[in-house]
Amino acid sequence: MSEQVRTGDVKAVLSEMSDGALAVAIGRFQQDALAEAYRRHAGAVFGLARRLLTDHARAEEIVQEVFVRLWNEPDRFDPERGTMRSFLLANAHGRAVDLIRSEASRRRREEREAAETADAGYDIAREVWDLALAGHVRDAMETLQEGERSAIELAYFGGLTYREAAEQLGEAEGTVKSRIRSGLKKLRAELTDSGITVGSGTE
Amino acid sequence: MSHVDDRGDSYDIDELLGAYALDAVDDDERNRVEDYLAINPKAAEEVRQHREVATMLAFTGMDAPEGIWSKIENEIEATAPAPGPELAKVFAMERRESAAPVATDHRSRRTQTWLLGAAAALALLVAGAVLVAGIRPDAGGDPLADALAAAEADRDSIRTELVADGSDAVAVGVIDQDGHGYLDATALPQLGADQTYQLWGVIAENGDVVSLGILGSQPELETFSVDSAVAALAVTIEQSPGVISDGNPDGAFVGTF
Repeated sequence: MSEQVRTGDVKAVLSEMSDGALAVAIGRFQQDALAEAYRRHAGAVFGLARRLLTDHARAEEIVQEVFVRLWNEPDRFDPERGTMRSFLLANAHGRAVDLIRSEASRRRREEREAAETADAGYDIAREVWDLALAGHVRDAMETLQEGERSAIELAYFGGLTYREAAEQLGEAEGTVKSRIRSGLKKLRAELTDSGITVGSGTE
Repeated sequence: MSHVDDRGDSYDIDELLGAYALDAVDDDERNRVEDYLAINPKAAEEVRQHREVATMLAFTGMDAPEGIWSKIENEIEATAPAPGPELAKVFAMERRESAAPVATDHRSRRTQTWLLGAAAALALLVAGAVLVAGIRPDAGGDPLADALAAAEADRDSIRTELVADGSDAVAVGVIDQDGHGYLDATALPQLGADQTYQLWGVIAENGDVVSLGILGSQPELETFSVDSAVAALAVTIEQSPGVISDGNPDGAFVGTF
């Protein structure tokens, strides 16, 4: 048996592992398992971080940070509480938001945004347009009321708190808070109705 | 559930769950929500669902730029975990619903005194000895079983049967020339919930006994890797979640190469 075939066997095994099994393997210091998790999810993590930070280099740092943390603390991921992708994206989002909310980061970001078009960064469809999933996500987003859509976009992709989003939108804080929640519930229902099983995929 | 915020206004904490899931709350609100989630599974499930929806929104299908993985590799190699309790960590895994010990011929027993003798001077090495997740041998496709079969068929691989005094069960260990190891432990009897099997290797060069990982109470087909020649494998029965050194020799399954 050639080395290539043997290596291929291991990779084939890993490629078919569930996220939970990958986390087990990572917990046992199996670097190939981390590589497989990276292969599955790094693109999404990078895409979200770059969207939030509008900074390629810092988005790369977020990716590195998120996966190194998965290596060091794999038991933080509980497959019964969601997919690995969701877990990693939540980590990346939280870290990116921390950066955004620091004053220095905010200042740099505002300077960059000032040089860009006014509405850049607030079009979800542009980011996911080229995917089969994009159509379903776009359709689901269009079923939301404008206020719900704006609140979710500002909070998730803008990194704003609901209070900051409310100020930017000129709405009451309670209204924006409720719209984020109701909008997410509607999105889930719409995606489910479209045949998308939210939270089931790893690829 | 109603709360009073720092402005003295009453609010329903459930209304914060969406904003919390998107990291759109301040630190004080985050703490309050997390306290709430700890006692309210329904709310925790709602947050989980919101985050999965957000995952769909974030799905870009793009690849991460080249070069990041190399940086990650360098960082984790530079901060490789030192031998310690991490080794004994046990993760929940899907297991077969019932044990199915395989009947085997009664075999002559190798003495397990090596383990007793070695236990007093165990130098536990973790680096280079890792175990990956088990996969059910009866799972569809079962690529790991295929990999084991291929390794067994390879003339450059080494193979041993691990047996124990007082037990007819036999585990099979195979290590290929690249150090990829396979342990078919499906025949080992299921242990109680407070016990776990633990796999050990004896390094040929110096006799050091290395823990290769925790197998759980009902091991199946497992893989591991070693970066040194191994003279023997042993599976001991330990109190969960396993031990760092000095494996329990009682009832140990031992096989030499």
